[in-house]
Amino acid sequence: MGFRTVAQWAASPDSGKWHITTFRKAVASAATVANDFIDYTYFAGNPPANFYASAPLEAALVESIRGINIPAIDGQFLKRITVMSAASSATGTTNQNQRLLLADYLLYYPFVDTDAVGEQQDMIQTAALPRYATGSGVQMMAVAQSAASTVGTFIVSYTNQDGTAGRTSSTTYTKAVAGGGALVSSTTNAVAGSQQFIQLQAGDSGVRSIQSVTFSAAGGGLMCLALVKPLYHFYSTQECRRTTSGNLESYGAASQFETVLHGPPVEIKNGAVLGIVGLGNAGTLASSVLTGILETTWS
Amino acid sequence: MGFQSQDDLINQITTNGKLDTVVYQKTSVAVGQAGHWQHLLNSVGSIPAATFGGSEATFTATDNTWSEGAIAIGDKTSPATKHILSMGAGVVAAAGAPWFILPIDLVGYAKLTTTNVSTTGTKTITMTAISNTAANVDRYANGEGLRLFIGSYSAMGANAPTMQVTYTNSAGATGKVTTAGCVSTASATSGTILNSGNAANKYGPFLPLAAGDTGVKDIESVIWGGTAHASGSVIVGLCKPLCMPIPVPATGLYNMVDFVNTLPSMPRLKNGANVTFLVFGTGATTASATVYANFDYGWN
Repeated sequence: MGFRTVAQWAASPDSGKWHITTFRKAVASAATVANDFIDYTYFAGNPPANFYASAPLEAALVESIRGINIPAIDGQFLKRITVMSAASSATGTTNQNQRLLLADYLLYYPFVDTDAVGEQQDMIQTAALPRYATGSGVQMMAVAQSAASTVGTFIVSYTNQDGTAGRTSSTTYTKAVAGGGALVSSTTNAVAGSQQFIQLQAGDSGVRSIQSVTFSAAGGGLMCLALVKPLYHFYSTQECRRTTSGNLESYGAASQFETVLHGPPVEIKNGAVLGIVGLGNAGTLASSVLTGILETTWS
Repeated sequence: MGFQSQDDLINQITTNGKLDTVVYQKTSVAVGQAGHWQHLLNSVGSIPAATFGGSEATFTATDNTWSEGAIAIGDKTSPATKHILSMGAGVVAAAGAPWFILPIDLVGYAKLTTTNVSTTGTKTITMTAISNTAANVDRYANGEGLRLFIGSYSAMGANAPTMQVTYTNSAGATGKVTTAGCVSTASATSGTILNSGNAANKYGPFLPLAAGDTGVKDIESVIWGGTAHASGSVIVGLCKPLCMPIPVPATGLYNMVDFVNTLPSMPRLKNGANVTFLVFGTGATTASATVYANFDYGWN
């Protein structure tokens, strides 16, 4: 059940119908590229890293332990999210101004070989999409599971939100990346810049399952196709750091989003596996740390 | 009763003087570990360091008259109610940023020492269940909204056992258990919240309650599993988080939250509230860090 008034929403901490949890994710030391997305779940911290490590091409559920902890309660909404990004060093600035997306991680198909040119890699449907059973609003995300040497090209065959099989994604280009965790999908073959999601066939609004992937140009690596439900867009602004020479100066900012004021108070489904996708703006995010508080509420 | 309008709030503050200000400052007793929460209860400052003098494995209720140190927030006669109007916080430390500072009302604690820590198994806690009376210990009726944490108040020995708390939930169901698999932190520093941390099976700041539970009425036991800590002293804290944590991006910066003019929530400050603060450090926070906080509250 939802909320009837703003007062009811605001009073949730007093009423005890409120959950608060910390998250802290440290990006690995391999460089990422400005304007490329990364999958923060892939990196170490709390919750622990989500390497999408299971049998190749077999559908698997993202383990709940890989998500930001929330209580097992129905009718739960995102109340507030607050984030700060710690710089990798006293002079590091490249982790500033990140675009962030909170998503519910649902299902994944790991270890797609981006070098298998001309070969149809068929997925094995060993698990079904949880929580958003029709796939409406569910998007495909290509996550690097290794370094990749070049720009590959692929298409995905999938079943859409209406249950129609044989739908075909736009031709999608992978990225040359220094390590796992980067998103490797773009509608152009430009070296810089990427897109969060693989573009669906015209008219489709979601993905229920993936049937196959076919590469027409090799990408030189491995990737996972993850199905996620985008929930909430937010931002981290200035990096947090303290200089250690010259005039000592503190830099930093916290970005806080009260959803009832700053965006839709989205529902968090019972059992959701929450993770964050980030977009670096000013350079590499390597060795930076995204830390935050996620609060949920229910009526 | 509370405030009927912005005009009423202004009138009660400026005409009737129904406003008070609180300042809190602590010097952290030990290094704060990266990705962990700290409780600062046994850190010196204003309020003084607590020594947890209560009986072993027995719940000790704490309120605004706690002899070991409590912010002296005056009680107000019903039907008047107190509400936090604004709150700010900062940290001064050579390392550890960014931080979050979370205000809590510590309703009480049960301490475990010596063999209750250095051996595994079930350690029974003696506690009179929280009820629904006018007594300070019952200020959150039947424990609705209360949360649990396990915090060290000495340096912990080696090993990281699993830990669970068995409790009665706010609906009165006994034998409820916090999430299985939660592990402590080996060799944690004094003041560390042991259920929090930067790895798998760590949860911060509070132990996750069983599915569907929204409060704790009675702490029944602590269950240590695996290999016990070699030594150490801990408390099981029972508290009510009061409002959103205050983010502190870097040393020396100060952030303030206005609970009136943003989303007007004005969190309730119950009579008897024993307000203290938990601190989350993204990095390892230098020992002797200064943590300060302040808040204004009004009543009507």
